[in-house]
Formats: sequence, C-alpha cells, structure tokens
Amino acid sequence: MDSASIYYLGVTLFLFIVFAAIVARTYRKAHQAKGEEPKFRMMDDDEPKKKDRPE
Amino acid sequence: MNQQDGYADDIVKGFVIWSMVWGLVAVLLGVFISFQIAFPQLNFPPYLTYGRLRPIHTNAGIFGWGIGSFMAFFIYITQRLTRRSLWSPGLAKAQLWLFNVVIALAAVTLAMGMNRSKEYAELEWPVATLVVVLWVIFSVNIVMTIVKRREEQMYISLWYILATLVGVAVLYLVNNAAIPVSLTKSYSAYAGANDANVQWWYGHNAVAMVLTTPPLAIFYYFLPKATGVPIYSHRMSVVAFWSLIFMYLWTGAHHLLWAPVPDWVQTLAMGFSVMLIAPSWAAVFNGYFSMNGQWHQMRENYLVKFLIFGITFYGMQTLQGPSQSIRTFSAFIHFTDWVPGHVHMGTLGWVSLVLFAAIYYTVPRIYHTEVYSIPMANMHFWLVLTGQLIFSITMWIAGVQQAAMLNATNPDGSLHYSFIETLAELYPYWYMRAAGGVIYLAGLLLFLYNIYKTITGGKPQAAVQPA
Ligand code: HEM
Repeated sequence: MDSASIYYLGVTLFLFIVFAAIVARTYRKAHQAKGEEPKFRMMDDDEPKKKDRPE
Repeated sequence: MNQQDGYADDIVKGFVIWSMVWGLVAVLLGVFISFQIAFPQLNFPPYLTYGRLRPIHTNAGIFGWGIGSFMAFFIYITQRLTRRSLWSPGLAKAQLWLFNVVIALAAVTLAMGMNRSKEYAELEWPVATLVVVLWVIFSVNIVMTIVKRREEQMYISLWYILATLVGVAVLYLVNNAAIPVSLTKSYSAYAGANDANVQWWYGHNAVAMVLTTPPLAIFYYFLPKATGVPIYSHRMSVVAFWSLIFMYLWTGAHHLLWAPVPDWVQTLAMGFSVMLIAPSWAAVFNGYFSMNGQWHQMRENYLVKFLIFGITFYGMQTLQGPSQSIRTFSAFIHFTDWVPGHVHMGTLGWVSLVLFAAIYYTVPRIYHTEVYSIPMANMHFWLVLTGQLIFSITMWIAGVQQAAMLNATNPDGSLHYSFIETLAELYPYWYMRAAGGVIYLAGLLLFLYNIYKTITGGKPQAAVQPA
C-alpha cells in the first residue's frame, strides 16, 4: 500500500465515521418526534404565516 | 412578485415555460437523431449530422429541460419550506435571462462544431464561464433564502437542494479546468487517464447531482402534496440522503472499468456503486410506504401515477446501474445499445415523470386556474410511458444481442463478427426505438397543449374533479 492509498482509505474512514454519527444522532430516541416534525409542517406551507416569524 | 409578503412565483412561471420549450427541443432532436441512426441518409453535413445534433440533444435535455425546471421548482419549493419569499427576485430574473442565453449559445456553438469532446461538459470555455456565473447567481439566491428561513428544521427536499448547489459547483469547476488557446478552443488541464478519470468522476456525479438529487427533492415535496398525506419517515429520508452523498462521489470510475485507470480505483467504484442500492431504495421505500392506505389514489389521482411510476423507474435504474458497475457485466454491455436503454429509463422515466407531475401541480396554483383536462393528462401519461418502455426495452434487447455478437469467437480465438456486422443487425431495433420516440413526442405535445390551455385559462375543470 502506498501513501496515496492510505490517505484515500483514511479519508473514506473519516467520512464513514461522520456518516455513522449522523445516523446515531438522527435515530436517537430523544430526537424521534423532532426528527419527524418537518414532514408534518411542510404539509401546510401555502403562504408565509405571521405566527411563524421569529420577531 | 406575486404579492409583497407572499412568494415570488412570477419567476417560477418563467422557468417552467422555458424549460418546457427546451424540453420540446430536446425531444424533437432526440426523435430526429433516432431516425438518423435508422436511416443514415437523413444526415446532412455539416450541421445536421448525428455528431453535431447529439450533444445539442443531451444539452437541451439535461440542462435546458432538466436544470431549467429544477431552477423553477427549487425556487418554488425553497420559498415554501422556508416560509420566506425569495431573497432576491431581481437576481432570479437576471438568472432566467442568462439561463436562456447560455442554452441558446450552447446550441449554436455545438452546431458549429465547437466541442471539448467531454460528454456533458462539451461547452467551450466562454460558454462554460457563463454557466459558472449562472450557477453562482442561482446558488446565492437559494442559499440566502434558506439562511433567512422561518422554519427551524429543514425538510428533506432542502437538503437535496443544497447538495445539488454545492455538488454541481464543485464538479463543474474541476472538470472544466482548461487552458484556452483561442476564443473557441481550449485544452483540458488534465492529461491521459487522469483526464478520463476526472471526466467520469464528473460524468457520473452529473447523474447524481443533476439527475438524482434534484428530482428527489421534487419528489419528496410533491408526493405528499399530491396525496395529502406526509411522507412515511423523515428520519429515514435524512439518513438515506447522507449515505447517498457519502457514496456517490466515489463511483465515477465504473464508467472506466477495464480502462487504464488504477485497478483499486475501479474496484472502489464498483463497491460503492453496489452499496448505492441501499440509499436509493430507501427513497423508493419511503415513497411506497408513504402510499400505505393510499394506493387507490393510483387510480384516482393522475399526479400520484406520474410520481409513483417515476420513483419506480428510479428504483429500477438503481438496480440496473449497480449491475452495470460490476466488471463482468460491464465487459458484456459496455459499448452496446444497452446503455441508452438505461439512460432513457432514467431521463424519460424517472426524471421527466416527476417533472411532469410537478408542473401539473404548480401551474394551476401559480396561474390561479384549473388544469385544463385531466383525461388529457392521463393520455399524456400512457403515451410517454409506452414510448419510453418501447425505447428502453428494445435497446436492452439490442444491447444483449450486440454484446453476444461482439463476444462470439471462432475456434482459433479470432472474433466471429466485425463491429460493423453487429451494427447491421440492429436496424430493426432502431426502427422500433424511433417509433417509441414518436409516441413519446405525441405524449409531450399533449402535455404542452394541456399546460398552454391551463395557463391561458381555457375551459376550467369542474371543481369536483379529483386532483
Ligand atoms: C445506483 C445508481 C446508478 C448506478 C450505480 C449507475 C451506473 C451506471 C453505469 C455503470 C453506467 C455506464 C454503463 C457503461 O457505459 O458501461 C451508467 C450510465 C449512465 N447512467 Fe446510470 N447508474 C445509476 C443510476 C442512474 C440514474 C438514476 C440515472 C438518471 C437518469 C442514470 C443515468 C445514466 C446516464 C445518463 C448514463 C450514460 C453515461 C454515458 O453517457 O455514457 N443512472 N450508469
């Protein structure tokens, strides 16, 4: 294995760990309701709503 | 703009209309070049030859019809999912102008024979530079709208939209790196096998970032809108998104199997291509599971028919693609007509079916009319489905036959057929493909007429008719 392949493999492994962390975060129990919230909120987006504004 | 505090939908109208114009150009040219293959006497040098017209067909299809409508729907969707009107409608207007100028310039320069000889990256550097400006304008507008969003969490479509903006920018800049020698000629910054490797890293990720992530963004938005029921799992869509992004960028070398690029690069591409089945099918399952209890809508709601058939073709495409990425299978079908069969299940099936649904959904809403004719939309569906299936299936059969002929050897090991002999056997399939193209074109014309009548407000539908 030359250094280029080791580098390639290293980057791949790093990205895989990032991906695994995303999966763990997305599927943790505490996140369940929040993680599914956007699919309900998007059903009603026909106009920008006053109550949605942060100010 | 529609209204001060509302969404900027006028600009969406412009992109929808122009994308349909370029879509018609792409399909007309596609049908014409399919006749040129079947009847070579239809080639009229220098401008009306297959060699000149084919890249105009692919550019008009992928960039004119595809990117044009993605621009429309990214603007439409982003505003709604962020509950913000577009950051700068003025910039979007400039973008529409530039978009049309670029596509027209692409058509003219390609017809004149100015071509970098890189597939899907044919445009010479002055036009390619304009593409970069166009993409920057577009990206800034969408990203700023997302940054200023009034929704805390981003719905999955926004993730796919962001991936498209970033992905296309990186791919296009890297693969278009070139040294200009005149206004109309440049040389790639890379040489030999490296050039091929960069080209197909770009080429396959154009499939990812142009023919996969944008239609997925659109599918995830319009399926629940069409059915009235949310998608099955948002978290599954998020995980599938990240794994798709993680995997796609390594797969380009599956276009170069058995070529003089390092063996490990080919193996890596093969491995990641097979792994891609998982995220791709996660989207397919998410679509199917979203239909739980709603399957009757396949009969009653023409939008759902377009969307579910679209995602089904995506599913087929992402099983066929990984098979093609395996060395032995690739050795068999590469350089045969199998590949256009694959391509057109993706472009005419997956991408276009989803876009048709999105246009049928949005046009009546932004023009405040009703769809002119639902029976006509149904007829459109069956015509394009039939045309596309004739195209793909005949090309798969032609590909297998040609592959078998190319692989046939004599007892002494020499080839049994010359390449030209394999081509001569393909004429019947080419006639059928051209016929399939005509059927698809008929469906497209019906669609355009229906949308034209919808826009001009002709004969509104009865309010009781299903969506
Ligand atoms: C898991 C997903 C996919 C994989 C692994 C895959 C794999 C492949 C492979 C290996 C080829 C090259 C065939 C050859 O020349 O030997 C190819 C060609 C192609 N695929 Fe797919 N495919 C996938 C999905 C898609 C999708 C969704 C589309 C959407 C339209 C698509 C469009 C294309 C196009 C346009 C080409 C032709 C490239 C050329 O000009 O040579 N693919 N694909």
